[in-house]
Amino acid sequence: MFGIVVALFAVAAHAADAPRLLRIGVLAYRGSEDAERTFETTVAQLARALPHYRVEMIAGSAAFLTTQIARDEIDFVVTNPGHYLELAIDYSATAIATVQDMDGTSASEAVGATILAPTNLGEIQSIADLKGRRIAAVAPEAFGFRAAWLEFLDRGVDPFKDARPLFVGFPVDGVVDAVRAGRADAGIVRSCLLEKLIAEGKVKPEEFRVVGRRPSGTLNCQVSTRLYPGWPFVKVAQTSPAMARQVADALLAMQPSSGDIVWSAPESYHRVQDLYRALKVGPYAPFTRLGILDFLWEYRWWGIAASMAALWWLVHVTRVAHLLRRRTAELQAAHEKARLEAERMEHTVRLSLMGEMASSLAHEINQPLAAILSYARGCERRLDAGIDPDGVREGVRRIALQAERAGSMVKRMRDFVRKTPSRQLPIDPAVIVADALALFEPTAAARGVTVEADLTGPLPIVRADRLQIEEVLLNLLQNALEAAAGRPDPEIVLSARVVDHAVLIAVTDNGPGVPPEARDSLFDAFFTTKPEGLGLGLSLSRTIAEAHGGRLDPDFDTPGATTFRFRLPLIEEEDHV
Amino acid sequence: MSDDAPIIWVVDDDPAVRDSVGFLVASLGYAYETCTSAREFLERLDDARPCCVVLDVRLPGLSGLELQGELLRRGSTVGIVFVSGHGDIPKAVRAVRLGAFDFLEKPFDDQILLDRVGEALEASREAIAERRRRGLLERRLAALTEREREVLARVVAGKTSKAIALELDISAKTVENHRANLMAKAGVNSVAQLIAWASDPTDI
Repeated sequence: MFGIVVALFAVAAHAADAPRLLRIGVLAYRGSEDAERTFETTVAQLARALPHYRVEMIAGSAAFLTTQIARDEIDFVVTNPGHYLELAIDYSATAIATVQDMDGTSASEAVGATILAPTNLGEIQSIADLKGRRIAAVAPEAFGFRAAWLEFLDRGVDPFKDARPLFVGFPVDGVVDAVRAGRADAGIVRSCLLEKLIAEGKVKPEEFRVVGRRPSGTLNCQVSTRLYPGWPFVKVAQTSPAMARQVADALLAMQPSSGDIVWSAPESYHRVQDLYRALKVGPYAPFTRLGILDFLWEYRWWGIAASMAALWWLVHVTRVAHLLRRRTAELQAAHEKARLEAERMEHTVRLSLMGEMASSLAHEINQPLAAILSYARGCERRLDAGIDPDGVREGVRRIALQAERAGSMVKRMRDFVRKTPSRQLPIDPAVIVADALALFEPTAAARGVTVEADLTGPLPIVRADRLQIEEVLLNLLQNALEAAAGRPDPEIVLSARVVDHAVLIAVTDNGPGVPPEARDSLFDAFFTTKPEGLGLGLSLSRTIAEAHGGRLDPDFDTPGATTFRFRLPLIEEEDHV
Repeated sequence: MSDDAPIIWVVDDDPAVRDSVGFLVASLGYAYETCTSAREFLERLDDARPCCVVLDVRLPGLSGLELQGELLRRGSTVGIVFVSGHGDIPKAVRAVRLGAFDFLEKPFDDQILLDRVGEALEASREAIAERRRRGLLERRLAALTEREREVLARVVAGKTSKAIALELDISAKTVENHRANLMAKAGVNSVAQLIAWASDPTDI
């Protein structure tokens, strides 16, 4: 698509008020320069007649002009009758004048086509002789070609099936060049082009012969087709009626001078309509072509945009789905990693706790072993002496009891350090407290610290991970022990009771208390006041408390006592199933 | 005589340990008593009887070693055999230096424990006998006059009446009177018997 804009300022265009734009599109069948030359007088006269307009001429191909009309960039069009027919249907275009040559040619029979063949190709005499030949033309939709097409059909020749059309595009001179160069055996051009080229000296009169010549009436040129009205001056739907009337008046009022074109009242273009109907082209193309292909072509930008949008959407959706899958997997992996990390940390702290209590626990297991040994030796001596058979029986029974005692201690220790996945199950908190105390008491005893268990009445069932809660309690007890040991009358009180829909377990020691500067960091990981502490106990304990929907809070307010309170929420009613 | 029958005390806060040690010593026919704490033991102890104590080092409240110190302060004759769940050498050395018969680590060899218990009981018996002898002597000497005790000390030292009279700046006749009174109070007939009466009451 190409277009050239030439602005012609009228003499009187220097009017004070800004001139309105009047844009005239001109079909450039021989190139834009020729189009301008042909119509420059018309445009200049219009500019003179309508000084309040700034007149612009835009030359271009039919497709370019159609596009400009669609974009409302053109007010008027000067074009061939075929193009006008299409514009009339698609854009409600109306001819306001028809061109007329000065030489007296009838305006109703002014345009046709001429079929040229090189004079030396003697075998091409009529249109029928063109079967199987290569025929050059501007384009399948060019008016000249279509005019010729009807003549072909009349003689039983389908130019597409029976001949080989060669479309060379604008300008029309290319057709002459193709024939002259032997690339085509014949060419279809607009009527009077041949005479014009001869007059311009570009073609020798004897060089081409006109094939299928028909009478040309008042037209002073050789033609091969019927004649159709001259080019119309067309207004389109959006052209304002006032402007159209002013232009029409100006066109008809133009005074012809020699060699110029003049404008007469618009001719009837029904013969052009008949031509198109017979060829089933333009507005009369079969529905499939017009309906779908033309529709698609016309709305191709929308189509492309919609396709791009759909494609973008598809890519976007796919990408989002992919990202979602990847993120989900990453999240799951991170979650799993964090869980394992937490379990590892719990286990480390449990081992560390067990390490701190190890010596006392060993002592605790040693006690039943020592008892077992003494009972066994006592039995042995009684048997050797043959005395006290009842004593032997009693001794053996007590050996069994002490073995069970040692065994349960070992089991408790093994359970505590075993690596087990976290599981929250309904459990009696008293059982956990008892287990923790059983593990802890030997250590307290070794350090000379009294542990008082203040457990009033039965406790309701909670949902908890037994080991984790035991770990929290042992952490608190161990901390309390470190604080209280070495003080006069060191004592730890462990109490458990129900307060506000929760089991509240409190561990209180009568140690020196936590120094104020350490209170803020108490629950930070790796913060410790003990020389060999991991600094994980309280931080982990709080994490465990929160994982159970509970809390772990210190209480420094009572003088001479430090308390840590561990809240474990009761199972909600709906959980009881 | 039931008062002289030895008794073995077992002091441990672990009931099984207490009971098992009692069960063991009972196999040799010993009588035994158990205590949960050092305080309870101090309240119940009657060391007029031959006795010993199998004592846990680690006890709630007063510890085993503190109990040993208290017994020494009281001049108790009870023999101590320590048992401990932990091999604590410094504690063991200190305990033995202060007179404990042994420091056994749990679980202990029954024979060693019983041997030590036997030794401790023997020592306890001797200590009781010694205490009785001293008591008797003190009572005998308490019945004498000041001058008689001075004369007796010199008689036991093997001095003649003349030498004693010279030493005490009294007449030989007076010394002879004191000797006669001493023989009468002691209920003996000879000087040799008088010397024995004043030094070793068990030999009578």
